[in-house]
Amino acid sequence: MNKIKSQVSYNLKKDKKSYISFGIVVLITAIMLNLALVLVFQVDNAYDKKLEKMNTASINVCIPKSQNTNVLMSDIEALEDVSEVECREAVFLEAVVNDFRGTDFSMNTMFYNMDEFRDINKLEIKEESVQMTEQSIYLPLYVASFGEFGLEDEIVYEVLDKKHTFIVSGVLEEMQYGNYGKGLMGAYLPENVYNEFAREYEENVVIEYSIIAGDGTDIKDLYNEIVKLLDEQGITMLTSCDKESTKDTRTMVCNLLILVLLVFALVILLVSVFLCKFRISISIEEDMINMGVLKALGYTGNMIIGSMVLPYIMITVVAALFGVIASYGILPILSEVLTLQAGFSFDLLFDIKALICVEIILVLIVVVFTYTGAKRIKKLQPINAIRGNGEVKKFKIFVNAKQNVLLFSVSFVLTILVAFASTLFYNVIVKPNNFISTLSEEMPDIILYPDEKYKDYIINDLQNFSSIQNVLEYTVGVVNIDDEPITVFACEDFSKVSNDLCYLGENPKEKNQIALGSSFEGKYKLGDQIEIYNGDTSFSYEITGFVQSVNYQGKVCEFSVDGYEELSTETVAPSLYLYLVDSSDAESVIKKLEANYGDKIKSQVNYQKMTETTKEMYSGLASIIVVVIFVLTILIVLFVLYIVVKTLLVQQKQELGIYKAIGYSNWQLIFKMVGGFIPSSVLAVLISSVLGLLYVPEINQFIFQTVGAMKNNMEVSFVFLMIFALIQIVVNFIISISLTMPIKKISAYALIKED
Amino acid sequence: MTETKDILISAKNLKKEFSNGEVCQTIFENLTLDIYKGDFTVIMGASGAGKSTLMYSLSGMDRPTEGQIIFSDEEITKYNDDELAIFRRKNCGFVFQQIYLLERMTLMDNVITAGVLCEKNKKIVMHRAKELFELVNIPEITQKKFSSQVSGGEAQRAGIVRAVINNPEVVFADEPTGALNSNNSEAVLNVFTKLHNEGQSIILVTHDKKTALRGNRIIYIKDGQIFGDCSMGNYIEEDKDREKKLDDFLTEMGW
Repeated sequence: MNKIKSQVSYNLKKDKKSYISFGIVVLITAIMLNLALVLVFQVDNAYDKKLEKMNTASINVCIPKSQNTNVLMSDIEALEDVSEVECREAVFLEAVVNDFRGTDFSMNTMFYNMDEFRDINKLEIKEESVQMTEQSIYLPLYVASFGEFGLEDEIVYEVLDKKHTFIVSGVLEEMQYGNYGKGLMGAYLPENVYNEFAREYEENVVIEYSIIAGDGTDIKDLYNEIVKLLDEQGITMLTSCDKESTKDTRTMVCNLLILVLLVFALVILLVSVFLCKFRISISIEEDMINMGVLKALGYTGNMIIGSMVLPYIMITVVAALFGVIASYGILPILSEVLTLQAGFSFDLLFDIKALICVEIILVLIVVVFTYTGAKRIKKLQPINAIRGNGEVKKFKIFVNAKQNVLLFSVSFVLTILVAFASTLFYNVIVKPNNFISTLSEEMPDIILYPDEKYKDYIINDLQNFSSIQNVLEYTVGVVNIDDEPITVFACEDFSKVSNDLCYLGENPKEKNQIALGSSFEGKYKLGDQIEIYNGDTSFSYEITGFVQSVNYQGKVCEFSVDGYEELSTETVAPSLYLYLVDSSDAESVIKKLEANYGDKIKSQVNYQKMTETTKEMYSGLASIIVVVIFVLTILIVLFVLYIVVKTLLVQQKQELGIYKAIGYSNWQLIFKMVGGFIPSSVLAVLISSVLGLLYVPEINQFIFQTVGAMKNNMEVSFVFLMIFALIQIVVNFIISISLTMPIKKISAYALIKED
Repeated sequence: MTETKDILISAKNLKKEFSNGEVCQTIFENLTLDIYKGDFTVIMGASGAGKSTLMYSLSGMDRPTEGQIIFSDEEITKYNDDELAIFRRKNCGFVFQQIYLLERMTLMDNVITAGVLCEKNKKIVMHRAKELFELVNIPEITQKKFSSQVSGGEAQRAGIVRAVINNPEVVFADEPTGALNSNNSEAVLNVFTKLHNEGQSIILVTHDKKTALRGNRIIYIKDGQIFGDCSMGNYIEEDKDREKKLDDFLTEMGW
């Protein structure tokens, strides 16, 4: 080490700016990588710790209060895999929260008496107001922060046709439900408020059993035991949730973010690896004679390689450290965004494990690539290096080709990111329905809940509304498949839906047909017969297709309306999905409906507004991603071109001086230089953009599949790919010209003369 | 005289070919030569005769296509690249026509770069370097300058210091005055003579008669063979016959 110290410092001083450029690229990579690793190492842990702290139930099951028996508790406790059970009363309702982030949000809500003692599923109050009122409510963190409700704000829960106004007296954290992805939320009322509420909705009062499984118990097995027990006692399970699937739902965005960060880090890492390999090749060419001299002095090939590789390692170690430190400036923002989505608060702390991993991963990769780039030095005969003959000439040819290969590779890889960004932009901003429909289920403009007596009358009468294009009878309910409650989508004609969820086979048409959610795909195949249960009723169906559902993690199924009626469905309120003609405002249509039908309709949901809110939310996120990708691309292109232009200036200095001396203008020389390397970059951008038609759908497929969207509706627009490619080319060109401009300031003599 | 000296390098049946695609050029063949300890051996010959190629083969900087080179009883032609590098750092010093000091390093740092290969203690290296700089008349202030800031002669003398910093068995010099003016050449040659007088073995390639006069043995290469070998005796500045003796030898060689 001591022997090559002076060489290492010589190399560092000689190429300061290139090392700085390389360092910045490593720094960006380290930021991405550390963010991803901190999330990987800490979110899961933080979640599990909170589960433990709140003594969260492994499984929660709800049954009608009327079916509860005195012995059920002891029967559940007697199950082999159960370690602890607690039961409490709640009111289970489908409610619409008014003005939830600017829209009306429909969600199944469990209203609890928050003063009741809890040993299982404890609540942690995050903030509360001093004064309690007769309308006080405590909201879960997700509802409060995502729905934008502050302390002492009013919140209106609309249940069927009645509005209940509460005052937010506190925000609490709970690990039972968490976020909207579970399709079920909690709401917590002080005892006096709850009692009054429960009296009003006596029929909807349920008993919830919160069960903690014994150590090493498979939650799925325990769930089956409970289902069997309830079945034997003739008790209906209204709803259930388990902590594992809740965790999957709540951490979905976090996992998606980790994936995106890792992909970004990988792409930038690839670029930095290309960069250091290229710089090494250039250094070999520039320092060929010096290397020959060093070999003559007695330096071995490995010592010279070491003196070239070590500066990169040192830069990597330092830049990675700074990148890791910088990432902690971003983590609080990330943590805030994730808290908002996941519905639980966590602090991301300094993680030495992540730091070590980032350092090891980056250093290892840099060592491997710099060493493979530099190992040719071993073959260099000192005399050939000094005289510049034989293999040295091959080196020069190799380096010239390598420069274009570098630009081609970097531009190609970056264009993959840009193509992905342009497609995201197109599908979120220009055609937002493509993106939203991939993550959502059916998207009407209005959902109407008619009084069942008037359903047919209303369906007929709706034909008279010129602003209504289509009306579909579409009902969302629950059945049991394999002893598990599964969400049902029943529609009179799936060919008329706006968002076809079927990704394999066909939607059900006949009453004996069913399409199952993606979570059943491994277990059943098309054409299989399946027996579906709903309480005491059962019916056999043929599987015609598989459907996706991100919100329900694929635990859904589709029936025709007739098919669903085969299972006793009296408890499920029918709903009508209304699709408006383009540019019709759902709000004004709802007013007309209310005026026309009055009591004949129980309630209605402005789904158009909800979709708009979702679009706004995603378009903000997509815009950030697109801007980040573009800024990153420009930064990386800037660094790479800087290194290429600097190398060219050194290589072609004398040649440029001669051209200048014989009368070439500065601009002619600038375009001559730029013309030497920009075509490879332009070619790469164009080829990669055209190939984007093939690989972008694959990337989208990969990303969306991780969140359960087996089929995505994202379109790849060739025009958009080309527009973004053109922007990229123009940016490359402008950067190249700006970097080459210094030629203007150097005199012909200064260019020609040797240093 | 030379016959009684110890052999430092013994080259046997050397052959060197350069191949450039389909064209193969033989530089020398069946060349056998002994170099003696303490000699200032000058290799002369016409351009392209293969004098530098021979010198670099003897030093382990290049590999002969065939033949054996025995350096202080060690057959260096068997060495791999790394073994050759270690051999060079211990036994050889090099002085080049283009000097090849490392840019962006001071003259002192250039010398230390070579010195630390054999001596771990940098202070000892610096101390010896200062002594040698004094020997070649380079003041302390110049030692701290970069190669681009000093004259060619100063740079070449620093190159000589770098070559001898590790007390090599032999100093190989390839046209060391080729890029220098006459004053600087004289100063550099004086250093070589001084080193030789202190017992340093030197092998020097040149086609300059003034430079060749400094050697005590002149080897003339022609058609890939040792065409002539002339013993000159040690250099004495006032020796008027020395120049004539060299002229006669070179005329005989067809110079």
